[in-house]
Order: sequence, then C-alpha cells, then structure tokens
Amino acid sequence: MTERIERELWLPATPEAVWEAVTGDGWLADRVNLDLRPGGDAHFVTSGRIRSGWVEDVSAPDRLSFWWAVDQEPASRVELRIEEHQDSTRLRIVETRPLEVLDLVGVPLPGPGGVTYGPALVAA
Amino acid sequence: MEDRASAVFGALSDPTRRALLAAIAEHPATTATELAAQLPISRQAVLKHLNALTNAGLLDRTRSGREVRYKFTPAPLSEAVDWMTAVGAEWDERLALLRRQLGGAAATRRASAWPTRSRGGAAGTPIQRGGIPK
Repeated sequence: MTERIERELWLPATPEAVWEAVTGDGWLADRVNLDLRPGGDAHFVTSGRIRSGWVEDVSAPDRLSFWWAVDQEPASRVELRIEEHQDSTRLRIVETRPLEVLDLVGVPLPGPGGVTYGPALVAA
Repeated sequence: MEDRASAVFGALSDPTRRALLAAIAEHPATTATELAAQLPISRQAVLKHLNALTNAGLLDRTRSGREVRYKFTPAPLSEAVDWMTAVGAEWDERLALLRRQLGGAAATRRASAWPTRSRGGAAGTPIQRGGIPK
C-alpha cells in the first residue's frame, strides 16, 4: 500500500462539462490558474492558501495530471481521468505522494523535462 | 526507493506485527525474548518483525547490556495517517460540490476496486416507458 488517495464519481453530464467544472475556478481551489500543456505552470489559491506546481500531462477532456505543493511541504501528484460510459461520465481521482522520502533528505522534485522544481530551483 | 509511508503501512499489514506493536506500546522497553514468550512464534521470527517495524520508524531500539529494548514511536504513523485523512477529506468535499453542480444522485465511493460494469443511479436508471404508474 502506498500513500495514495483514490476516489470516483459518476455524473449525469458530458465529459466536456465535467472537464470544465474540474479545471475551472472553484473546484480544485477558489482561484485556479492552469497552463494546460505539459510543463505548464499551475497555481491554486483558496482563502489565502497558495499551492503551486506544474502540469505533467493533459488531454482534454479526458485526462489531466499535475503536481502541487504548499510551500515546502512534500509535493503530491494528482491524476484526473474522465470517461464517458453510455449516458453518464465517470471521474476518477488519484492523489499520491510518492517522493516524500526524497523531500525528507532535501533532494529536489523532478520537474517537467528533467528540470528540477521546488526549493533547489530557487537556490540554483 | 521505498516511500516512508508505504513502509509504515507495509509494516502494519501483518497481524503478527500489529500484535507486537500493541504489546510494545503497552509495555515499553520490552525485549525480543520477552515478546517471544508472549506470542506463539520463535524469537528469530520476532526479531524479523521487529526489524521491519524499526525500519518503518515505528520502533526505537536501545541496547541494554546483552539485550536490545524496544519502544513504540508512533510519529511516522500519525504523519502518514494525517496526510491520508486530510487529503481524503478535501477530495470528498470537492466531489460533493461537483455532485451538487452536475450530478443529481450520482454515486461516490472509494475507488479501491474500480467497477467495469455500468451502474444504476440517476444517470444509469433506464427511462420509464409506457406511462407513469398509478
């Protein structure tokens, strides 16, 4: 078992409507700023609490994966998958924190295209 | 590389290890010999489990003469559980919000076993034909 959260939700809506809801303001955070391309910046603000990260992979309207972290806390990876099944749509969410050990020993997180992301980038 | 939290949950997945941990939490500074006397397993087997628990950060070892004494250190456990609880609750809130926005009576659940068959509920319920039942 890994440090992993999984959820799923069935919705009577089109994948496009679900995509719009989950990537827009008010769902992942109050204010969501996602540069929807691999390596794009991601910023999330909810009542003064800022999370930032980057987009790992995107394929609208069915797949989005990104990394996010609050300040120096260990980053986690979020994967959203949207699948149409007959006349309903399934949204699946997986959030994992696979690099906690690396964070603990101060190794920077992997970033898009092999670029490091996080404190080490600031130091460099 | 093994994730610390995986190590914690891996260590706790075994009932013998959970029993050992409970025994140590109840009687701090216990030795492997004392633990083996309480459980139907050999001292060798006890040591193997104690190593797994120590590697997961759940036990603290102190040498005392020829024996090693063990103490329960719950910190990594609470850190991992705190993360799972907090992050899980955030997603539950987001899903509830989405269901209110888009979803009628759609079902939510923990997705440990993602189903392949289509489900009932608001979206899956066939449309009634032939008039409304009296």
